[in-house]
Amino acid sequence: MSSEANKQAFEALVQPHFDRLYRLAFRLTGRKTEAEDLFQELLIKAFGKLDDLVAIDEPGSWLSRVMYNLFIDEQRRFARRRMHTVEEGFLPVGGIEGFAGTESPERDQHRLEQLNQLDVALKQLSDDHRLIVLLHDTEGYKLEEIHTLMGIPVGTVKSRLHRARARLREILVQSGTFS
Amino acid sequence: MNNNNLERQDEEVLQLLKDYPKPTADAGFYDRALARATHEGSRRQRNRWVMTGFGSAVAAGLVLWFVGTVFLASPDLPQPEASIPGITMTLEEPRTVNLVFASTKALDMATLTVTLPAGIELAGFPGQREITWQTSLVEGKNFLPLKLIALSSAGGEVLARLEHDDRDRTFRLRVDVS
Repeated sequence: MSSEANKQAFEALVQPHFDRLYRLAFRLTGRKTEAEDLFQELLIKAFGKLDDLVAIDEPGSWLSRVMYNLFIDEQRRFARRRMHTVEEGFLPVGGIEGFAGTESPERDQHRLEQLNQLDVALKQLSDDHRLIVLLHDTEGYKLEEIHTLMGIPVGTVKSRLHRARARLREILVQSGTFS
Repeated sequence: MNNNNLERQDEEVLQLLKDYPKPTADAGFYDRALARATHEGSRRQRNRWVMTGFGSAVAAGLVLWFVGTVFLASPDLPQPEASIPGITMTLEEPRTVNLVFASTKALDMATLTVTLPAGIELAGFPGQREITWQTSLVEGKNFLPLKLIALSSAGGEVLARLEHDDRDRTFRLRVDVS
């Protein structure tokens, strides 16, 4: 294939999955700039494996898995090199800036407050639990898809999902979000 | 707490999670990412041997900041101006600089201090001009990505100081902001 044909074939294969991959990158990293870097790194890696990509039945799953592995590799590499870091508390906190509201401003304000509390609660979960609950309950991934992505048994995904939801409920009750 | 209450709260948690905002990419990001991937991917295929040993490099704006061979036996001689590596950054656009130490021997519990000029920040550490890590270096190449963000056009020098026992070496990176 010519260079231009390669580019076109690559674009046709990856573009339908962009939104889902971008959201996965965001859920993994928790930050926009890092999500963009991870997304970019995935595309570079995937373009280098175009021959493999064209032969794959479900490129979306393959791309998600490659992205997850890139993320884990990067985390391990970084962790190996920093035995101790400055206070993690310095890391920026995102917060919810807005959501698709209804026609009732008061109800929207209440909902926004609840979502902010959820945001705080999510940050108290372990990385695995947070990722699983967000992928399943927010992004709509099936248990089987999470199993393929993270390489853990479906039963483990299910139990972590239940524990994550229970912990969220507990935190939200404690914070007075739920009565 | 009765079961009905628990079930209601579980449903509320689920509903909240469904409503939790879904991130969206900035306009034009996908096009830029695609263009960079095909350009960078082609370049990497041509120069694959250059990258061997450095793992997967991070995307766009990648800079390898070779701070040279690290072995602290020699006195810390000042770097000649001409040998100071430099990068040009765009205002408020994060850029990853990969710090590569080639160490002639393994070093345990070395202290790495990165000092930033005013107007340059390390992503994740807003407002901090000096960030210190304790780290171990393996014999051979050691790789540490630093994501820098320019918040003013002043630029300046980023310093990386590596200390081990009572010896230290400082490396400099010139940063211009366009």
